Amino acid sequence: MKSPPGSTLLEENAELHARLEEAEEMLRAIRGGEVDALVVESAAGPQVYALQGLDAATNRFRGEILAQVSDAVVAVDSEERIIYLNAAAERLYGLTASGALGQRLSKIHMSRWLHPEDEGAATTALRERGEWRGENVHIRHDGREMNVESGVTVLRDTAGQPTGMLAVIRDVTERKEHEDKVLVSEIRYRRLFETAHDGVLLLDPGTRKIIDANPFMTQLLGYPHNQLVGKELFEIGLLKDEAASQEMVRTLQRTKQVRYENLPLESQTGRHQEVEVVANLYDENGRYVIQCNIRDITERKRSEEHVKLLMAEVNHRAKNLLAVVQAVANLTLKYGDPATFAARLSDRIDGLAAGQDLLVKNQWQGVETADLVDAQLAHFKDLIGTRVLIQGPRARLTMAAAQGIGMALHELATNAAKYGALSNLQGQVRIAWRIIAATKPAFSISWLEDGGPKVGTPTRKGFGQIVIGRMAEAAVEGSTEIIFREKGLSWTLSAPVENVLASAILGI
Amino acid sequence: MSPRATAMLDKRHPRVLVIEDEPVLAFAIEDLLIEAGFDVVGVATRLETALAIVKRDVFDAAILDANLAGVSAGPVASALAARGLPFLVLSGYLPEQQDSAFSGALRLQKPCRPDRLVLALRSILPVGVML
Repeated sequence: MKSPPGSTLLEENAELHARLEEAEEMLRAIRGGEVDALVVESAAGPQVYALQGLDAATNRFRGEILAQVSDAVVAVDSEERIIYLNAAAERLYGLTASGALGQRLSKIHMSRWLHPEDEGAATTALRERGEWRGENVHIRHDGREMNVESGVTVLRDTAGQPTGMLAVIRDVTERKEHEDKVLVSEIRYRRLFETAHDGVLLLDPGTRKIIDANPFMTQLLGYPHNQLVGKELFEIGLLKDEAASQEMVRTLQRTKQVRYENLPLESQTGRHQEVEVVANLYDENGRYVIQCNIRDITERKRSEEHVKLLMAEVNHRAKNLLAVVQAVANLTLKYGDPATFAARLSDRIDGLAAGQDLLVKNQWQGVETADLVDAQLAHFKDLIGTRVLIQGPRARLTMAAAQGIGMALHELATNAAKYGALSNLQGQVRIAWRIIAATKPAFSISWLEDGGPKVGTPTRKGFGQIVIGRMAEAAVEGSTEIIFREKGLSWTLSAPVENVLASAILGI
Repeated sequence: MSPRATAMLDKRHPRVLVIEDEPVLAFAIEDLLIEAGFDVVGVATRLETALAIVKRDVFDAAILDANLAGVSAGPVASALAARGLPFLVLSGYLPEQQDSAFSGALRLQKPCRPDRLVLALRSILPVGVML
């Protein structure tokens, strides 16, 4: 739109002002019962509606003015038939005065009340005081809903009898929506503030004092809200001293954000916590405010420590395993045939790996004997139940026992497959373990071969024999019995239960 | 008579206690030491056994695994120190992760080369106990 030159604008402004003043006066006069009739400008020409007995010229003048008012004005008679509506009302309700005049008010809009009690309150106010102001919803004939703010005055005749009502109506839908948005936003962010699991402090950058604190902050420090407000950060132990507080504000003014990690915080109850503080300087609609987010990182620190510990443990176990592999390699070479060294070593590493899997599966808390036997005899699982018979109660082995017995079983199985009961088509192996109840309970596990090729006593002691003998004994501080029977090898390991079992599960 | 004095008087093999919970390593160390001319007085795989042997037996030095079945071997180190017996600590843990009872002792990291282990053990033997 092209703007008029300065002088014209001033003139228009002055005219508008005068008209508004007149309109105000007019409305006041109508409310005061000084108006007797209204003149309505319509397509058919001006029409005069008499309210009271004033001369037509005055009313016509007033009617014209009323037509200029930006708020909608609607007048009804005592039957609620429309006797007047201005141009703003035509626009508001989407109809023309000529179509609406004489119609019932309910034809141009229906009302819906924001609260059920509002309608009764309005009726009472009109009856008792002759006027009502308030908000409700008008539903137009096309279904559109508007939030409106109305001022309704009862019109009376000279005798003081009610003759109708005059309403000035303003569409406040937009304002209402805006207010709703602000309210929703306020609720949403207030809730964030209230329920955050981080402490939030708001500070005045000028005084460096706390102006607000969320409930979590209260919880974190053990100070009630009213004791936090008005204090400086150093007074609640967050910063060392006043100089540190001043330094923080100075830094904030320069960088807008400050971050402190691992501040040791002591609550009023003396509980030590590690906190992380992030302070931001914000412009809050022209006013600066410092927001501090305080996060309790005690748990995080603990979990970091735990990870460190686990890493050390992994390191320890990995190196331990390397040491075991190194020892197995040295012993395999020393006690075995150099020609089969590579094959034997790989085979033993397989056995170690199977044992390792079991320990990890059981979180290093020990291994069930049955699981250990299954793992070490995995190559022969098709024979289990026919040529390999396994029998024994539940018995949870310690890590050391599982390692020692596992290696022995691995050696026994390898040997049986090469030279013993599992090297032909009919031989049998019976693996059994039991807990012998006595004053000193003992655990015993045996490996008994039958039906293999004829067995002779070996001429030299190989690594396998060391594993099933001395090494198995050392693992459980027990004793072994190895008999090279002609019909098959017999191996038994016995030890006090406390050296073998992870927990005192005695019996079945 | 203290074990140290006994050792100094005798001209026999230095006597060593092996404390190691891993059976393969325990055997490998024992085997290695015997071959190197030591006399292995015992192999303990558990803390209680180790403590009992340290209290009871006569030997010149010990090889101590820092961790026995998930438990620190610190008490064994203290018992050895109380008897004035030299020991070396063998561990997969880094020195800073270890029990303070081991401070002052010679430490070797696992895995350790067999010849280095033998050399280290010789270096801690009391004067007069030599191969």
